Amino acid sequence: MATTPALELINIHKTFGDVEVLKGISLKAYDGDVISILGSSGSGKSTFLRCINLLENPTQGQMIFNGSELDLVRGDVDLVPNNMKQLTQMRQKIGFVFQSFNLWPHMTILQNIVEGPLHVLKRPKHEVMAYAEHLLEKVGIAEKKHMYPNQLSGGQQQRVAIARTLAMDPQVILFDEPTSALDPELVGEVLGVMRNLADEGRTMLIVTHEMNFAREVSSDVVFLHQGKVEEKGTPEEVFGSPKSERCKAFISSVF
Amino acid sequence: MDFSVVIEYFPRLLSGAWVTLQLVLLSVVLGGIFALPIALARISPVAWVRAIPFGYIFFFRGTPLLVQIFLVYYGASQFEAVKNSIFWPILKEPFWCAIIAFTLNTSAYTAEIFRGAIQAIPKGEVEACKVLGMTKVQMYRRILLPRAFGIVLPSYGNEIILMLKGSALASTITILDLTGMARTIIARTYTPIEIFLAAGAIYLLISMLVIFLFRQIELRQNRYLGTQSIQLEDKS
Repeated sequence: MATTPALELINIHKTFGDVEVLKGISLKAYDGDVISILGSSGSGKSTFLRCINLLENPTQGQMIFNGSELDLVRGDVDLVPNNMKQLTQMRQKIGFVFQSFNLWPHMTILQNIVEGPLHVLKRPKHEVMAYAEHLLEKVGIAEKKHMYPNQLSGGQQQRVAIARTLAMDPQVILFDEPTSALDPELVGEVLGVMRNLADEGRTMLIVTHEMNFAREVSSDVVFLHQGKVEEKGTPEEVFGSPKSERCKAFISSVF
Repeated sequence: MDFSVVIEYFPRLLSGAWVTLQLVLLSVVLGGIFALPIALARISPVAWVRAIPFGYIFFFRGTPLLVQIFLVYYGASQFEAVKNSIFWPILKEPFWCAIIAFTLNTSAYTAEIFRGAIQAIPKGEVEACKVLGMTKVQMYRRILLPRAFGIVLPSYGNEIILMLKGSALASTITILDLTGMARTIIARTYTPIEIFLAAGAIYLLISMLVIFLFRQIELRQNRYLGTQSIQLEDKS
């Protein structure tokens, strides 16, 4: 285990109006960790994930990526980035896969994938193209590269979204319920791709409702309840012998 | 009714139509160029930056185009400073006064159309830009503005047609556009029905061209929507 965590979150709080959604969550992810974040709806797991790369501004807390802390200052209510350049550079290394894919519909599959490495990272075109082809091959949609997102099924779109994230060579990938918007028969193909990524040793944080997947793939499991970490441990510990009552009830309700 | 006057004066009507086309094209192009920064300022997170275009749009949408034309044409010459400035050769020409008024007017409307289109982009697509680590400039230049372009087309085509019809007001400040020319001919021939029918037909033709053109651009630009979402499946 490395000495410095790839990603460390300390005491993250988030308040929407009067509602405190996150009540101080801390988490460390080392290189190669696959951490599943579980919890019933409303437990704050998606909000937590979105706070990591500041899609939501946390109300309080610290974010440390590769040993350097993200520079945050107090805005009107929430903490806001003090240094946009630092934030964009950090985001370039943290991939994010959305529940609703969020591909750009006016661009082809290939254009969606090469946009980031080509125009954000400014890598040479031949290199980016070759890598994009390789990624499309890997997620199993090479033959659809000139089609538009609307012409693909949900599962295919999500695989494109994963390829778009991978094209940036992220050090950590965050998955926000990547299969929740999919028809049941399409869930498997996306989980298959994610399983391969985990096997490659990628560092991943996954918010999911797929319990079997979380159990098999994760190195660690975190169970959130009402904005707090209720239980954390290895999949064997959390699924096999949960200590807290709520976690026990949650596990038994889904299995 | 005697439609031979239409044939006789048709070349004059066409030269009027050419002036109308120049008025519309110039003001739409200039207005479109001004509209973009106005629209971007309008969605700025900074309150005072938002306030400036808000006031501008409020004025130009809230007052009649005719009043705006008169303000530029009769108003500007009231000031000695304007008469002595390097802009006077331009400001003394009715044609350029009309262009200025039209440009200001259409840029206010177009800015609102652009703003609506940018804000109509689903939030998730904007977040997809953010998580790749794009800067604001990259986000707008690479993704959001091209995306908004497809959304903006139908209402933008509409604005151009409104501008075409609004351009008839140029005839009130001595410009011989299509309407101005028609009135001049009628003053000589006393055949208002024939000549106005002919002028109306020419306006209609130009509108049709604009509609056709925008339809073509729309089909090309929005081809990503795919045909399968509109066409029903063949059951056979």
